[in-house]
Amino acid sequence: MKTADSLEALRRANPRHKAGFAEAVDLAAAELRVRIETAVGADQPHGRQFRPRRLVGFSAAGIALATTAAVAVFLTLGSSGVTPGVQGAAAAVKMAARLTAASADQSGTATVRMTRDGQTWTHKTIRWNGNDLEITDESRGRPSSGLPLLVVSGMMYGHDPAHEGWVEVGPVSSIDPGTGTTPTDILAAVREDMGGATLRRITGTMTADGLTAANQPDGSTIYRGTVPAGQIARQTGFKEGQAIRVFPFGYVADDAAANPASLLDTALTVGADGVIREIAVTWGTWTYTVTYSHLGSTPAVVAPANAKSLRELRHLAPSRTTTSPR
Amino acid sequence: MKKAEGERRRRFDRLFESHNVEIVAYCRSRAGSASDAQDAAAEVFLTAWRRVDDVPEGDAALAWLYATARRVLANQRRSARRSAALAERLALTPPPQRPPVDAEDSLVHEALRKLNPIDREVLLLSEWEGLSPAQIASVLRCPKVTARGRLHRARRRFRSAFQELRSGDESVGYGHSAYRLATNSVTRVVGGG
Repeated sequence: MKTADSLEALRRANPRHKAGFAEAVDLAAAELRVRIETAVGADQPHGRQFRPRRLVGFSAAGIALATTAAVAVFLTLGSSGVTPGVQGAAAAVKMAARLTAASADQSGTATVRMTRDGQTWTHKTIRWNGNDLEITDESRGRPSSGLPLLVVSGMMYGHDPAHEGWVEVGPVSSIDPGTGTTPTDILAAVREDMGGATLRRITGTMTADGLTAANQPDGSTIYRGTVPAGQIARQTGFKEGQAIRVFPFGYVADDAAANPASLLDTALTVGADGVIREIAVTWGTWTYTVTYSHLGSTPAVVAPANAKSLRELRHLAPSRTTTSPR
Repeated sequence: MKKAEGERRRRFDRLFESHNVEIVAYCRSRAGSASDAQDAAAEVFLTAWRRVDDVPEGDAALAWLYATARRVLANQRRSARRSAALAERLALTPPPQRPPVDAEDSLVHEALRKLNPIDREVLLLSEWEGLSPAQIASVLRCPKVTARGRLHRARRRFRSAFQELRSGDESVGYGHSAYRLATNSVTRVVGGG
């Protein structure tokens, strides 16, 4: 065996490359910020010995508390001008990415739109709460437009127009793993796009050069910069011999956005609470927008009460099952 | 006086903003639990706050933080060992549950466990944290040439240990090793020293 082989194995074993590690570090860093701000506020350099106190653990409640407190610290220190906890636009953007990741950990809603010449091309809303999901594609001209796909407690539900009701499509485990289409894959992608690698990549690149900030009357701030398309739209495979680059939440990049070196105009709207509200990417006549809402407060996804299994439907005439999940 | 305090605060903010993710990640991959890692990272930055005037400028600041984290984690492990020994004597706590690791990871961690603590630390600072030999020298407070030599030696020893384990493992199947190692603590393996 060559040394390189063993070192490759060692590098593959790096915990930093394991699923969820980066997200866990982001959450931990957000909590650490609160602890440090609290401790530093009460402690002076070379002063009395301060023992860090464990404020919150890593429970969901703890994370939510840490996030809330981090936002409070951000607002207090960031806006007072006395001892700014965040220096400059670049730091504010990075801080916003971390807060957004922490806020979105348990639940959230993302609305994704692409427009061309001002006309809606695609429109999808994704809600998640814990491991449950609701995905509604409201793009025009799609057979499933407006009919959500639900994943609740490991069971998938769809809306079958032929039966005008909910269908229990089957357990998550019934979908071949590794296809990239399982609810687990979708949820992992949502988490990555919401608060994980995608957001860090975009904000990290955006802060490299020429970042501007504009305060808005509602207290939000719009940060503008450019990001190489390759940092936004990932290469996810090949189709008909061509590399496919896909935007967060699943749309295939086209035109200049398909060229990883193209610099795309990117605007990040950060709310007064320090959390990212919207990412808008523009090239040519296209605009790709992701709007975040109800981070940490999106209600639970509820299973439809009268969903029929596929087996039942085979024995039913159409139009017998009607219900709504909410 | 206030101006000096304000400058210290700004300097600390910059330090924290620039390096908190690296230090949290370092602590998480070496501490016994997430909360221990969090405590260690907090201790590192509180030390930096108290001694902000001693923290070097530029890239050397990160090496200073790594060196501090290394000491904090070592103290934490010593304390944990004392607590564990006491708990064992008093039979207060059940053995910790460890997450399963895959076969190759198991071999890597077992090979790391076979290294002496200083070899292990040098190797991981290089391969996992991405530090250069010069930065490793700063963390370990040794001459650069010594760090370079230790890194070379650690790589050679790791390769030898990994190769030996893999050849032995192939004769009984990876599953055997994974099962055997399932009870081993990954953090204990990488954490010693």
